[in-house]
Amino acid sequence: MSAFSAAGAKTRGFGFTHNPAMPLPSQQSQDNELIDLLDRISRRDAPAFKQLYDLCSAKLFGLAIRVVDNRSWAEEVLQEAFLVIWRTAPAYRASLSPPMAWMGLIVRSRGLDFLRRRATERGHLTQTLDDTMADSMAHDVPSPMDTAQASELAWALHQCLRQLENRQREVVSLAYVRDLSHSELAAQLQLPLGTIKTWIRRGLEQLRTCMARFA
Amino acid sequence: MVDLTRHPELLDRLASSYALGTLRAGARRRFESMAREHPSVRVAALLWQTRLASLNELQGQQAPDPQVWQRIERALQAQQAEQDGPVQPARAMTRARKPARATEPWWASLGWWRGAAVAGACATLLAVVTGWNLHGQRSAEVAQLQAQLRAVPQDAYVAVLQDAKSTASMLVTFDPRNNRLTLQRVGNYQESPDRSLQLWAIPPSGGPRSLGVLDRDKLLRLAAGEANVRDVSALAISLEPRGGVPSAGGPTGPVLFSGTLIQKLP
Repeated sequence: MSAFSAAGAKTRGFGFTHNPAMPLPSQQSQDNELIDLLDRISRRDAPAFKQLYDLCSAKLFGLAIRVVDNRSWAEEVLQEAFLVIWRTAPAYRASLSPPMAWMGLIVRSRGLDFLRRRATERGHLTQTLDDTMADSMAHDVPSPMDTAQASELAWALHQCLRQLENRQREVVSLAYVRDLSHSELAAQLQLPLGTIKTWIRRGLEQLRTCMARFA
Repeated sequence: MVDLTRHPELLDRLASSYALGTLRAGARRRFESMAREHPSVRVAALLWQTRLASLNELQGQQAPDPQVWQRIERALQAQQAEQDGPVQPARAMTRARKPARATEPWWASLGWWRGAAVAGACATLLAVVTGWNLHGQRSAEVAQLQAQLRAVPQDAYVAVLQDAKSTASMLVTFDPRNNRLTLQRVGNYQESPDRSLQLWAIPPSGGPRSLGVLDRDKLLRLAAGEANVRDVSALAISLEPRGGVPSAGGPTGPVLFSGTLIQKLP
């Protein structure tokens, strides 16, 4: 744990010294607020739904953009996702997930569905790297990770991801968010398949060691 | 096959690859079948799925356009109306033609489109064109239409979309060689600034699929693959919130124009 804390303290920008294994009080109260809203939504409370949208739409829209890489598609995805949230809110508690994690999964799966539908319609994938990601890959600068509204578990993952090389982190993140295979990643990033496999393997290896501390 | 339950390190590695999505093909299927048999394998997979799902929460924030909320609200209102009310705006038009069962979505009650014979549709097209000639009106448009029909390549698809009074309002042609769908407004209908017209393909089964949202021009070209129109029996245009609605939810507003899509014989 000491090595880990030292690494965290050295990293600039976040001013983050809190032990991520312990929830921040503000995170907890925010989770509680979202859970309360989801409970009300499951009783068809429309004002609660609007409140949830106001609180979460920017975060979830950022994710939708990352998945589909196109603003207007991301708007469609966000709209679909919120209709799913409205419909399936009664099932939220059974998921045993932090509220933002649950909603994030809905947005990602809507986004991936959207891309699959488009691929079927067009007969091919037209997906490309977004600018931030391309920049991160080309110049090895970290693309921003945003911990606002992130659940406790996401804080832990964030800590571990920060220890990866920028490109490894990008590839791992891209593989997950867009559900891409090694060869799809190699094609999109225009990198040799062997390089991708190595980065993913090392990235996951480091994450495994690091995340074990939080288990 | 290795017994994963005896190799925790290997199990953890496979579970993390599985959750990331990079474990593919045979290895993925083998892992899945072991997870079904051994709870400890299932637990490892769930743990990694949960951990990696946090990646969703670490993406940057971006404010969506305020329209998105308006569209969500309208879609919910439409769903609500679907559950509550006996007559919905979207269904009003088809009801006027043929009473539909109240539980059916509007597109399900459009059997009359699918039943229309190709010959009948051609006759309609002809009648539309000659009808205008007889009235001595819109001769310029008719000439334009006829020229356009002549210019339509072989195996193209055409549709004349009509409103509730059977007035032709939109001419749609599809050029498979260029994957181009051309829409020409032939009536005087103009949607209000906060609304958009959206074109839908009605397949023989399943719900409507959006082909695109119309802008305000007389002539509009949309990109569309032949797969999008080949199995389609009819086209419809609905009035939607500005910018249109997602395809998956189907139309939310009233259907203004509709017509049979016919494949022009060579």
